[in-house]
Amino acid sequence: MHDFSEREWAEYIDGIADEETRNRLEAHLFGCLSCWEFYDRMASTTEELRVAGDVLRRVHNAGDRALYNGLQRIFEKLGGEGAELAGSIQQRLGALTDVMAPMCGSQTALKALRAAAEDSPARSLDHLTEDNWAPFMKNLRSIATVVCGDTGAHLVWERGKLY
Amino acid sequence: MDVRQALEQFQVGRSEEAFCALFEYVYPRLRRYFMIRGMELLEAEDLAQNVMVLVYRHAGEVRDRELFLGWVFKAAKNELARYWRQRRTRDRIARMEPLSDELARTLVDESTSGRQADFMEWMSHLEASEREILILRYVEELSYEDLSLALGIPLGTVKWRLFNARKKLAPIINRTTPGAKRRIH
Repeated sequence: MHDFSEREWAEYIDGIADEETRNRLEAHLFGCLSCWEFYDRMASTTEELRVAGDVLRRVHNAGDRALYNGLQRIFEKLGGEGAELAGSIQQRLGALTDVMAPMCGSQTALKALRAAAEDSPARSLDHLTEDNWAPFMKNLRSIATVVCGDTGAHLVWERGKLY
Repeated sequence: MDVRQALEQFQVGRSEEAFCALFEYVYPRLRRYFMIRGMELLEAEDLAQNVMVLVYRHAGEVRDRELFLGWVFKAAKNELARYWRQRRTRDRIARMEPLSDELARTLVDESTSGRQADFMEWMSHLEASEREILILRYVEELSYEDLSLALGIPLGTVKWRLFNARKKLAPIINRTTPGAKRRIH
């Protein structure tokens, strides 16, 4: 295309051409209709792809539950390898779910765990650690008092302390 | 914590917090990548989890943290190839994978469904290698350097392949989206 290589065109369209190439190409575009039309088509194509990519990223973002389930599955696949990371926290969360589910249902139990984590320094179940476990449990006990009653909340608290 | 910091922390200390930060950044991208490549949701999640297992085991081998995403998507591409080999559908790699049911079910919001459907229709006009590079560039926003690592091709070839894929799509896109906005550098 009129003495410009595909590499030069590609870099210009992507905005990464060096100054010399940019100046040469822009000077040429002022006077060459066919090259201008080519640039116009390529630039609009690039923009349409960029916009479509934005939409796909927005639509196909994984929610909290998908992330939580995915992380659990990864630790299951790692088995013993991931034990030093996953064992205690995942086991604790599983045990707490086991305690709460019969009292308030598994969906409510999961929501309670998530809410307790979001209101704590951990901010999410995925970021629970030994260090931020205590504030999470305090929140969970408060929530459990509402959804499971005082006795249920006591059970949840005792189970959370067991590890 | 950004992904490079998380990777560094995980490489050094293998802490739970660092792995979770890596997971949060990488896993949704992998999941989306496999879904766009034609997997159903459960298959996509399974493959994404397999790649995260590789991240856990081999993160120490990543020398250049700037190219971590390229390393991840190289692993993803290998995982996808292994999956298709196991499914004995090697010829599907040469054709456009059909829109997965899960992806099709998400085409309900009129404000976004047009764009998604357009994108999948555009991809159907391309060879597998062209689709791969455009998906990684425009959906996963990989840099040229990451693309070079992920696809195992030189940087010049990355630019050439992107340029030619767009040239191929230009008459199709400009026919289906008249009056499209564009940015001028």
